[in-house]
Amino acid sequence: MNYFDFHVHSAFSGGESSLEQLAITAKSLGYKGICFAEYYKGEEQIKKLKEEIEKVKQKIGIEIFLGFEARNLKELSVLREKRRKFDVLLARGGDLKLNREAVEIPEVDILTHPEYERIDSGLDHVSAKFAAKNNVAIEINFREVLVTSKRTRSMVLKNMTQNIKLAKKFGAPVIACSGSLSHWDICDPQCLVSFVSLLGLELNEAKNTVSTVPEKIIKQINERKNEKWIAPGIKVVK
Amino acid sequence: MDRSRNKSGEMRQENKLKILMPTLREKDRYISFQVISEEQIEYSDLEPAILNTFLDFYGEYGFSKLSFWIIKNLYDPERQIGVIRCNNKSVQQTVAGLGLVSRLGETRITIKIFKISGTIKGLKL
Repeated sequence: MNYFDFHVHSAFSGGESSLEQLAITAKSLGYKGICFAEYYKGEEQIKKLKEEIEKVKQKIGIEIFLGFEARNLKELSVLREKRRKFDVLLARGGDLKLNREAVEIPEVDILTHPEYERIDSGLDHVSAKFAAKNNVAIEINFREVLVTSKRTRSMVLKNMTQNIKLAKKFGAPVIACSGSLSHWDICDPQCLVSFVSLLGLELNEAKNTVSTVPEKIIKQINERKNEKWIAPGIKVVK
Repeated sequence: MDRSRNKSGEMRQENKLKILMPTLREKDRYISFQVISEEQIEYSDLEPAILNTFLDFYGEYGFSKLSFWIIKNLYDPERQIGVIRCNNKSVQQTVAGLGLVSRLGETRITIKIFKISGTIKGLKL
């Protein structure tokens, strides 16, 4: 089975480790591919990152995707315009408006930790329906659990369980990611699968969160790279 | 006749229970793992870190359901490979808990799961 981690921060955007360190650790843990989730800082940053990623790809031998994480509505609209220049668009959850906006846009691939710094789960049944309709994956972020403890951790776990329940009911895709800021935070894929299975998914469904769902996103990435592609569901036939 | 001695006069092992029938026995699973770290990790450092993480996450009651045991003899400090025993119903909980072990004091570690098997021989260490 091919495993993918679609939410890894490098030293380019708040992380502690270099692209190479992250790629080496991911490969040693058995991942087939990872996606660097960076914060958008301009056109030049995209060029620089693409060059770096190409070097690391050839050196380490692991699939690497370039993703950008929108931290607010403004960033989200900027990144939507430049959607074809990178692989994955993530929206940083937590803010209710951003959560709702993200699931309503088909260009967004992943809504990361919708329950981030919230008492509630950050998703309701309407958002879950939109996520299913627009194929926006709801993320289960392992780092949220790793860095919290006691009461906070119990709240995070409760909210994640609620989000999984909603996603399962309305058919929205769920993706499990390590959300790591350092190469030490990257979690073994089997641990991720087991962790998600504890939150209310069957073992097969839990495995899909680190293999099938990311593979579907990769399929979309490849379609988007095609010159005939215009928008989700629309392409030039002639 | 002394009931604690057999016919040849040898002491019986009164403190040892009879082996349960296979149907009544708890079924074990063995999980082999590797600790990835910058420094070499000794068993004496690893054991309390793992146990404390599990106790924090599952609590005393939840932890008791796992039948969790770190097999000391099988820990190889050079390769940093170890084996954990749990029951067959709590494999997912055990593996998920291992993912939460990220620090040994100041040292940062990552745990890689190798194999899950019903016998130690099956782990092919």
